[in-house]
Amino acid sequence: MSTTLKKTIPVAIVFVVAFVVMMDYFLLTPPLTEAGKSWTSTTVRDLQNWGVILTAFTLGFGAVNLFYFHSKHISRRTPNQWQFSLWLLIVIVVFTVTGVSMGPSSDQYNWLYNASYFALSATVYSSLGFYMTSGLYRALRFKNVESGIFVVVGVIVLAKNAPALTVYYPILGTWVSFISDVLTTSAQRGIMIGGALGAISLGVRTMTGRETGFLGKMTEEERGGVGA
Amino acid sequence: MSGQGKSIWDTLENIPREVLYGILLVVFVVPMIFPLGLPVPVSANVRKWYNTIDALPTGSVVLIDFGYSGGGEPELGPMAVAVYNHLFKKGGIKVIAMSTSIEGPQLWDKAMAEIRPERYGAQYGVDYINIGYITGGETAMAAIGKDLRATTSTDYKGASLDQYSIMDGIVDAHSFDLLICYTTGGDQSEGWVRQWYTVYGTRYLCSVLAMMVPTMLPYQNAGQIISVTSGAQAGEMETLVKVPARGIKSADVITLTHILCLAYVAIGNIAYLSKRFSGGGK
Repeated sequence: MSTTLKKTIPVAIVFVVAFVVMMDYFLLTPPLTEAGKSWTSTTVRDLQNWGVILTAFTLGFGAVNLFYFHSKHISRRTPNQWQFSLWLLIVIVVFTVTGVSMGPSSDQYNWLYNASYFALSATVYSSLGFYMTSGLYRALRFKNVESGIFVVVGVIVLAKNAPALTVYYPILGTWVSFISDVLTTSAQRGIMIGGALGAISLGVRTMTGRETGFLGKMTEEERGGVGA
Repeated sequence: MSGQGKSIWDTLENIPREVLYGILLVVFVVPMIFPLGLPVPVSANVRKWYNTIDALPTGSVVLIDFGYSGGGEPELGPMAVAVYNHLFKKGGIKVIAMSTSIEGPQLWDKAMAEIRPERYGAQYGVDYINIGYITGGETAMAAIGKDLRATTSTDYKGASLDQYSIMDGIVDAHSFDLLICYTTGGDQSEGWVRQWYTVYGTRYLCSVLAMMVPTMLPYQNAGQIISVTSGAQAGEMETLVKVPARGIKSADVITLTHILCLAYVAIGNIAYLSKRFSGGGK
């Protein structure tokens, strides 16, 4: 495939779409409609709805891909895998057939969801509590100054999160407010601002075709590197 | 022999995980069966959340995002139920639910079965509705903020939105007086700030998993979110709303398991430091 088809056209589409979306965010572009909307507003509305539709399509595409991937395991009888692949496909079929024939908000579909996925999902997530408790006991040790600070802060926050303890020791609330509002917030803000600057940089690089990860696998020449 | 010369500190420093888990299980199960009724103090953030809803004038429209998954339901579900109880109890508020999580419609049904809106005289399509799961994450948030009816034309059951009186006059983000999000994902909780608060200035309340609260606090401290709460604070909300449910029941469990964790940390450290000062440590 030529570089024009593989890189130039997709990057041009990304540039135009991103530019229009940014224009709509920062500017009110005339002429305005009777509802006070600019042409960029209606264009971006349509683009966003395309995005919603495309994401819905990718969900279906993902299901097809799962079928393709796991069917291979079943046909090859991959050891310690094919039984699970078969079970996965059975579950997908049962959920899909029930959802399509009776509706995703039907009692039957809700029963299936509540009796299987919901129960399993809540159980797996809840079991983390046991691992966290064991980890807490083993890792929260006063070994040096750094870990000591960690222990002290951890103990204060743990105590504050026990509802009844804050009734008997209201000072915990003041301490945790300082930890969360001053220490945590300032550190988090630094991380968030750094991340946002990185996102802006990535956005500019993507718009200008310097970042080509979203285009899939490309040769050095197609990327516009050495030998281009 | 492996056990020879093993001091009490060695034993306390290396308690087998089966013992730790066993004690935790007992501390977890006993108060669930025999509630202790330990006090549940109401924190400033939960009170701020409650007051925000309480101050909504009659006819206000609230958008609620059921953005959590089944795994997060035991924590966030009770909070969602308590807040819905408050909204219905107050009356005169239009509540429109949607989901940025694929499991949202099922979890909304689950919450409704617990709330039983009919006991408040609330009617589906008149006082509350669910417009279903909308794919796309932040793109979906931006799309419904710009033009809700262009993004979705049916409720979660596939019925046209035009037939419901609650949807009269609902066009875009400007149609909403308050946004509430329950979520297990940072993309959703932060996405609403980026796509709704920043663009339209929509007032925003957010309830997340307890471990996500530190990530969300900078938004609250900057005034972008009115109040950030964790689902584990549902007991506090139930106390204010005066509809006791799962949250109050789990408050005893939360207190006792946290005290147990403190005990584990204390035992581990006492054993470690005692061993170290008696010359047995590294």
